[in-house]
Amino acid sequence: MKNIIIGFAIAATTLAACNNSNNDTANAKQTDIKNDTALATQQQVTKDTAGTQSTTATSEATFPVKEIITGYLQLKNALAKDNGQDAASAGNAIVATLAKVDMKGLSDVQMKSYMNIADDLKEHAEHIGANAGKIEHQREHFIMLSKDMADFVKTFGNGGQTLYKDFCPMANDGKGATWISEVKEIKNPYLGSKMPDCGSVKETIK
Amino acid sequence: MLIIFIVIQFIQPVRNKSGQVLSTDFGKVYAVPGNVQAVLQNACYDCHSNNTMYPWYANIQPMAWVMARHIKNGKDKLNFSDFGSYTGRRQISKLKGIANQVKDDEMPISSYKLMHKNANLTTEEKSLIMDWMNKTADSLSTEN
Repeated sequence: MKNIIIGFAIAATTLAACNNSNNDTANAKQTDIKNDTALATQQQVTKDTAGTQSTTATSEATFPVKEIITGYLQLKNALAKDNGQDAASAGNAIVATLAKVDMKGLSDVQMKSYMNIADDLKEHAEHIGANAGKIEHQREHFIMLSKDMADFVKTFGNGGQTLYKDFCPMANDGKGATWISEVKEIKNPYLGSKMPDCGSVKETIK
Repeated sequence: MLIIFIVIQFIQPVRNKSGQVLSTDFGKVYAVPGNVQAVLQNACYDCHSNNTMYPWYANIQPMAWVMARHIKNGKDKLNFSDFGSYTGRRQISKLKGIANQVKDDEMPISSYKLMHKNANLTTEEKSLIMDWMNKTADSLSTEN
């Protein structure tokens, strides 16, 4: 009997814990599942076409290249200012933008590349959106999200805005990490106010 | 109260036990060393695979519901049984994500560790998992 009572107590606390985390992600999860199954079948074909394909955007009217980049830059700037709350909102904004993307205007190659990138991009943006209070966790996801964005820009262009690919050797526990910026001046999103100017421009994307 | 307790015992959720190892299973997709696989099996697979090792209290409600829900959420985020079906990009993300979650002590979750002593990873087990996950992720990144 004692065991059962203990079991109840644990059940009650874990249920409560589940409820909290569940509410924020319930909606996102719905779409996640749908995408997962769609992508599973694509998997062999799509395996990183992004790295090798370089096509500029042709279907700007329907495909929100600029909006996605803007969302990323907002996120980057929030992290550079050590603002986890703004970073979370920017993360959620990226998820919302990706949710309404219409792929109709894309070529086959672009579509494959987009689906491969967006799948991962969305997941990192979701995590960043759900972890407003944990900026270091947001930054871990931002490392991988930035890699996705670099490939995204390679495939879909810079949305008409000059961008810079920056690298800081001290980020990512000394393993180094890149990010995309709209300004030439270094504003480090990984170290924030601790070391705002760590890093250098590696590439200019015109 | 007692009546409710007895009645809910008859409402049992479906068990997460496929009994088979898919070709997309983590251990089939990568050459996972035995000691790494053992830790994953003990500390992760209950909620992150298609095969849960159920404890005795899984027969008692509402524990079974709580578990069913944890397992569903866990599998949505990461399913070792389906790992091979993720895109290459996503596999790399997941490998790094696993390393980060272990490093930050986010996973395994504390309520699970309370009931599973094996899931309380030692410092050595943690670095074993982190090192292997990061190493594998890095080797995949350079391949692409």
